[in-house]
Amino acid sequence: MSDRPLTGIRVLDFGLLTAGANTSAMLADLGADVIKIESGAYLDPFRVVGKMDNDEGWWNRSPQFRFTNRNKRGLALNLKDPQGQRVIRELAATCDVVVENFRRGVLDRAGLGYKDLSAINPRLVFAAISSQGDTGPERMNVSFGSTLDATSGIASLTGYEGEAPRISGMDVNYPDQIVSLFATGIVITAVMEARRSGKGAFLDFSQREVASFTLGEEILAASADPQHRLAPRGNDEAGIAQQDAYRCADGKWLAVTLDRADPGLKAFCIGHDRETALAALLAKGIAAAPCLDGNDLLRDTALQGVTLIRDERGQLVKGLPYRLDGKGITIERAAPDLGQHTDEVLRELLGYDDARLEQLKDSGVTSTTPTIGDV
Amino acid sequence: MSENTALPLARFTIVEVNDADVPLCLRLATSLAAKIAADLGASVLKIEPPEGDPVRRAPPLLSQGESALFQFLNTSKRSLVIDLATESGRSSLARLLGKTDVCLFEEPASVATMLRAGHATPIEIAAFPVEMSAAARPVSELAIQALGGLMHMVGEPDRKPLRLGGHQASYAAGLTAFTGLAAALAARDAGRTAPSVRVSLAEVMQWVNWKAASGAEATGTSPGREGKGSEFQVLPCRDGHVAVVYTVTQWPATRTLIGDPRLDDPRFSTRAGRRQHIADLYAALAPWFADKTREEIQKTAQAKGVPFGPIFTPRELLETEQYVARSFLADMKHPTLGTLRLPQLPVQWNGRSFAPRPAPRLSAPELAA
Repeated sequence: MSDRPLTGIRVLDFGLLTAGANTSAMLADLGADVIKIESGAYLDPFRVVGKMDNDEGWWNRSPQFRFTNRNKRGLALNLKDPQGQRVIRELAATCDVVVENFRRGVLDRAGLGYKDLSAINPRLVFAAISSQGDTGPERMNVSFGSTLDATSGIASLTGYEGEAPRISGMDVNYPDQIVSLFATGIVITAVMEARRSGKGAFLDFSQREVASFTLGEEILAASADPQHRLAPRGNDEAGIAQQDAYRCADGKWLAVTLDRADPGLKAFCIGHDRETALAALLAKGIAAAPCLDGNDLLRDTALQGVTLIRDERGQLVKGLPYRLDGKGITIERAAPDLGQHTDEVLRELLGYDDARLEQLKDSGVTSTTPTIGDV
Repeated sequence: MSENTALPLARFTIVEVNDADVPLCLRLATSLAAKIAADLGASVLKIEPPEGDPVRRAPPLLSQGESALFQFLNTSKRSLVIDLATESGRSSLARLLGKTDVCLFEEPASVATMLRAGHATPIEIAAFPVEMSAAARPVSELAIQALGGLMHMVGEPDRKPLRLGGHQASYAAGLTAFTGLAAALAARDAGRTAPSVRVSLAEVMQWVNWKAASGAEATGTSPGREGKGSEFQVLPCRDGHVAVVYTVTQWPATRTLIGDPRLDDPRFSTRAGRRQHIADLYAALAPWFADKTREEIQKTAQAKGVPFGPIFTPRELLETEQYVARSFLADMKHPTLGTLRLPQLPVQWNGRSFAPRPAPRLSAPELAA
């Protein structure tokens, strides 16, 4: 596996939850060596959100964390301790990319922002992913997932006809999902440029802008025509004769798109089981599909493609959104336990010896257990 | 950066093949991926059939009848009409591809076999995973949101499932195809064999909706639309609506912000309790919102670190203070349509934005030079 697109690229990953951590995961899937940095005092919140039980080691059992952080090595370093900060600066000298989605200013205050790290390593590509971007009056605003459904405009176009707008909600948090699909490509572009020119880059991503970008044509139309008014319209879509989700005889929902309106479609669907209705519509050349749920997705391995995969422990994790040379990926390592690879990486990349590693552990700079209390 | 050669992808050449009779939802993904590369400086040539890419006629339409959708998705590209139904058209395309790094096309394209075997790295957009053997199955964006499980997540549990607004099924795939394209270019650039890339809308939608699968696997029950039972809901305010969003750690600040004594009820002190009594919780939250504007709500909430989200329409985004301050929306001078305001690529690179150039007009059929 030495000839993958990003073989030889090393990523210092401060990414949390989906937006940051998944960008690094996608870089890992393309062959990059990704080193995830957490600290005992501040875990990736996915370890906490996905807490399954109260037993020892609960922080290593979160499904959300496991899904997102496979194929990475994990370090736990206290970034508030000057010794921990020094270790990061030494690591940054050996890396090509930094990915972070802290609130603006957090890394700067620790002396680990772009200015500090690029002074050490001018080739560094530094991807800062934040809610609103690194500049502007709202740069310090906080958001969480569906906040951005609202502020990006997506919610204003989502909902039942004539009713209030809707957000994708906490089990989707749609804007968090799409940012990594874009940011990964831009990071790769900047890595190419750094290889060519020897100069890195500060990449400032606003998650809200990524979400609004997906409404580009509506923003453009509104700018040209102040009368261009939009509101939730159910499953209707401009330019499409008829489109909706229809309830079938077995109570299941079927999504159907028609090129020519057919007032009899609703009655047809309610008169047949979903499977029967689906087969009949597809046979007529009509786009139709069942509204599947999570269990349906787990069962249908053909439809799943390469999006889900099992790690070495046999546990389900995220696969690839695309395939390269027709294939998905194999998971080379399961998501790391907290601090699992601290010693290994510091030995390998920085040549630390046992005494130094012991000293870092004794002074609380490195750890494998959270220091946070009740969560 | 006005000089094209200074842009990061300026040394790469990309062909976007728009064959006739391809489902529109696939075309939107292809065109978005190529547009991003074009705005980043790649030389992108869009091959259109004699009647033009049908997106040229797709809504929303501008008052002059031109498509806003086409204008957004085809910035910074050049266009060339080639009739791929003819032998000479296909050989013109083959000649072009000899000088091309990457070509993008859709699975149903009549020239797909030729493009997969060519010198240019193929980036293929399909509706479904190869395992489904469903290349000929009818497809729409709604069908993709249904298959990907996304519709199951949006709406009220006892009412019909809803799609997310916009072209999310196509655009999520388009962003994915761009990243695949960048990976292919990086491999070529490093002197390695670039992998072919295949993106299916159905796989991308499921990948985006991964929490449905992880939730179902962990508990045996699929997450689904909870509507009025969900923790995050939309409430009306004086001038519109606001999404009520807060994390577990932000609950105490949220309670203080609203300041209603009913929220001190011990039933609401844990997440499980709040979920169990969600209707009562929202009854206590709602009055605070009713007499305030979105702006007041956002400012007051942010001051307490609470991430409530005022809901804006695309029209309102044109004047958003944050977007104006960051120049996220570019004013693009179009030769016939006047000045068009549209989102730029959502990244600033060393503080620099990538100004889009107007989409190409459809020219008369001509032979490839």
